[in-house]
Amino acid sequence: MALKRINKELQELEKDPPANCSAGPVNDDMFHWQATIMGPGESPFQGGVFFLSIHFPADYPFKPPKITFTTKIYHPNINSNGAICLDILRSQWSPALTISKVLLSICSLLTDPNPDDPLVPDIARLYKTDREKYNQTARTWTNKYAM
Amino acid sequence: MDTSTDASSSFASNINNANDNSSSSNNSANKDTGFECNICLETAHDAVVSMCGHLFCWPCLHQWIETRANNPTCPVCKAVISKDKVVPLYGRNAPQKDPRENVPPRPAGQRQEARRNRSFGLGDGVNFQMSFGVGAFPFGLFTTFNLNNSDVRSQTPPSGTPDRAHHEFLSRVILFMALILLIFILFF
Repeated sequence: MALKRINKELQELEKDPPANCSAGPVNDDMFHWQATIMGPGESPFQGGVFFLSIHFPADYPFKPPKITFTTKIYHPNINSNGAICLDILRSQWSPALTISKVLLSICSLLTDPNPDDPLVPDIARLYKTDREKYNQTARTWTNKYAM
Repeated sequence: MDTSTDASSSFASNINNANDNSSSSNNSANKDTGFECNICLETAHDAVVSMCGHLFCWPCLHQWIETRANNPTCPVCKAVISKDKVVPLYGRNAPQKDPRENVPPRPAGQRQEARRNRSFGLGDGVNFQMSFGVGAFPFGLFTTFNLNNSDVRSQTPPSGTPDRAHHEFLSRVILFMALILLIFILFF
């Protein structure tokens, strides 16, 4: 079931790739993918290419995939280990979601952080109190790690 | 014509045949579009549709409901969903059988009988003695009474009279109550 569904998603990604994102298996292991996200235009991550690692559980799609950033990124909801705080990757997961939809959600999380449910409180505080400084630091990190 | 026994695949192919007949310009690329299960993304088999209108294979939806047993919601729109509130879809040339009966049977509960402790230890022994004493008390009383009045007449009224029936009834009630008391003390 899981393998069939993952293959189906890969076919659809190749047929109809989402904007600014790409994903595919790393080697022959269909349960381990790598994905890339282009920094969205209207965000301080513009111009950066961010790599993510995707691990599918054996009971996918009934359990969410494990997705982490492998590229360092300055964001209130993404910590230094690359862990992403996003509800659809935890409690709000649904088997009707696909990798393509999840990557698009992560894209919009980059544009619109959620400082009220932060993973890195310091970045969230800066985002709320001094937006210009936040944008500046995020741009610096993007230049340093994602280009 | 599809002779497969699979309910939904023949359902879908019938729809496709109808589409092909009506509009021959339809290409085969989007043949199954619209009849895919929202969970496995394949053409739905043993198809069911939720009250909110979303299509699933029954085995897929069943597994999702099991996964979220405490609060199952529709995978597409997060509406409340339940096993009883999905509608099975029956295609032509398909067995008119509720796909919800096709789920793998639930594993039966496993229950091992505990070994009952029958030893008459000090506590049990005391209980047994007491209950016997209480239960036997009325008969003991009758016996004493009979012995004392053996020269006058029998304690029990003559048979056939209403008194005799009443007496027998009372004896049975007392015996029954004594038995219940005995059983209660022994087993509880």
